Amino acid sequence: MRDEIYIVGDEVISPLGIGSELNFQRLREAHTAISPVMDAGLCDHPIHAARIDETQWTHLVCNSARYTRLERLFILTLQRLINKHNIPLDNGTLVIISTTKGNIGLLANPESTFPEGRARIPAMAEAIRDYFGLGNAPIPVSNACISGSLAISVARRLLSYDCRYQRAIVVGGDELSKFIVSGFDAFQALADGPCRPFDRDRNGLNLGEAVAAVYLSTMPAPNAVQIKGVGSFNDANHISGPSRTGEGLYLSIKEAMREAGIVTPDFISAHGTATRYNDEMEAVAFQRCGLSAIPTHSLKGYFGHTLGASGLLETAMAIHALKNNELIPSSGFAHPGTSQPLNVTTQRKVQPLHAFLKTASGFGGCNIATIFQKV
Amino acid sequence: METTNYHIRSYCTIRGRTIRINGSYFYTAGTTMPLGDFLKSAYRQLAIDYPKFHKMDGLCKAVFIAAELIARESGPYERNTSLIFANRSSSYLADSRHARDIFRADNPIASPATFVYTLPNIALGEISIRHQLQSENGFFIFDSYLPEFMVPYANTTLKGQQAAHAALCGWAEVTDETCDVLVYRIDHVGQWPHSVERLKRLYNEEDE
Amino acid sequence: MSELTEELKAKIIAQLNLEDVSVDDLDAQTPLFGDGLGLDSIDALELIVMLDKSYGIKLSDPKEGRKVFETIQTMADFIEANRT
Repeated sequence: MRDEIYIVGDEVISPLGIGSELNFQRLREAHTAISPVMDAGLCDHPIHAARIDETQWTHLVCNSARYTRLERLFILTLQRLINKHNIPLDNGTLVIISTTKGNIGLLANPESTFPEGRARIPAMAEAIRDYFGLGNAPIPVSNACISGSLAISVARRLLSYDCRYQRAIVVGGDELSKFIVSGFDAFQALADGPCRPFDRDRNGLNLGEAVAAVYLSTMPAPNAVQIKGVGSFNDANHISGPSRTGEGLYLSIKEAMREAGIVTPDFISAHGTATRYNDEMEAVAFQRCGLSAIPTHSLKGYFGHTLGASGLLETAMAIHALKNNELIPSSGFAHPGTSQPLNVTTQRKVQPLHAFLKTASGFGGCNIATIFQKV
Repeated sequence: METTNYHIRSYCTIRGRTIRINGSYFYTAGTTMPLGDFLKSAYRQLAIDYPKFHKMDGLCKAVFIAAELIARESGPYERNTSLIFANRSSSYLADSRHARDIFRADNPIASPATFVYTLPNIALGEISIRHQLQSENGFFIFDSYLPEFMVPYANTTLKGQQAAHAALCGWAEVTDETCDVLVYRIDHVGQWPHSVERLKRLYNEEDE
Repeated sequence: MSELTEELKAKIIAQLNLEDVSVDDLDAQTPLFGDGLGLDSIDALELIVMLDKSYGIKLSDPKEGRKVFETIQTMADFIEANRT
């Protein structure tokens, strides 16, 4: 039983650009990838969303025709991570894949060039395994918007109890599609401009797309960050509306902090989708945990809501912030807008940082909270 | 990894148009009965008043019925019963319905009630609400039922401080052509050992 | 007008999967949300879709929705006034 599991590397491809370092630099410069999008292939009316620029990356992946767009994004992200850290791809390496909808764009879509069976997540996992010749079949996690953070927790558990594995790659991604955009539109969940997490005038989310990966090891390395505590509890309230008392998230944070054994994180990287209900729920949960004064941000004002990638992308960026001792502001915030106060970070600030709390919530009433700490 | 003190307390299978609880028949219908009708009449057999059932998609309905029968058979669930499930096709029924709605040539319109079910873990949300379970959820996607993964993983959710006192686990593959559901309750006590070998036997039971 | 309310009753039952409710059970004055029929937030969104799909009325302001969907009668009145 190995109790200490570390994140020793990360890599992302997002609408802000290719690579973790570039992405973090863009955050520091307050770039946002959210812009107006008018694309009948996504939506019959204009929306604000964050899209990955095809010209930035499509030329970087081989065997293009064999793999779907999302698979190619996964492949490129993984290749970069593997190269950066010389990760062996043998039986000692566990791979966890997080996605909410995978290749769903292939389903019933008259413009698809792949058979419908490819829309199934195991087919996507197999394509990725096949490309890299992975020793172990990847394990897909599909649990709504907590998938990315949950996948980290799954990897941590498996590394703890299964001595066959020494390391794990946790990679997650989702892409924009008519399937997803139309659904959130039917929920009236899309903002009519750039999203405003925690703000008084927030009126919904922006969708984004990304692939993000973290590299876990049972051995610490220089600059490693330890996964100190995880808690995950369902609200048992409603399948799409979060609990008004933030019950599930409250229990999750309490458990993560109890396991971590630390009293206070130095900042919170919240889920912060900018819907009226989610942000209110998080504020209530943070207050119940005594965390109202902790510097808090949501990164969704820069990337949009990247669904199956979000837990991983935002964790990776928060890790960079932690290592840089730098608080990243919450984009889109101007006036307090929750019934419980929050300490929303509005300016970049350099100060000693040791640990942070990452939260995520999703449809189905699920929640997860994770404490990360510098080694 | 097989050293465990956990047991299967109760299990439910839904295969084709037959539902069994702990191996005994609960309900069976003709093989040509459409899935929706089958699940609706199975619900009526339960004789409960839960109108939200009718809003669920096929995957959620099947998991709901299995969870209900297990509770009926072995007692109410503890609040902290972890939910660990897997299937092959995710939320395929709701996915294809939503896809049809948005790609149809004549008046394509998305339905929020359909879209909300296009995530497989909603099934876990539904039983959490029904049985008031505030616990950890995990939905995995495998090519076929994989007790080699499920057994040790579910066992891990029963350890440590957050420890569930029990777990409800399942393989729930529900599509147009397939209804292949095995849901089982894990606890410290129970009739059968919580092991890969036993689960393979339960899973293949009806094929014998 | 009563033809429209009867039509709405049937449509609501079908659209919202109210299997255990019959048209006779529904009164045009019964509150749809809260203590009456007890519909939830997803049902409210479905009613908005129904207005669009069946009557060509696009409603995107949730505040307006609350008044429109108070009862079947208020829905019928609104549709009569706004249908295309």
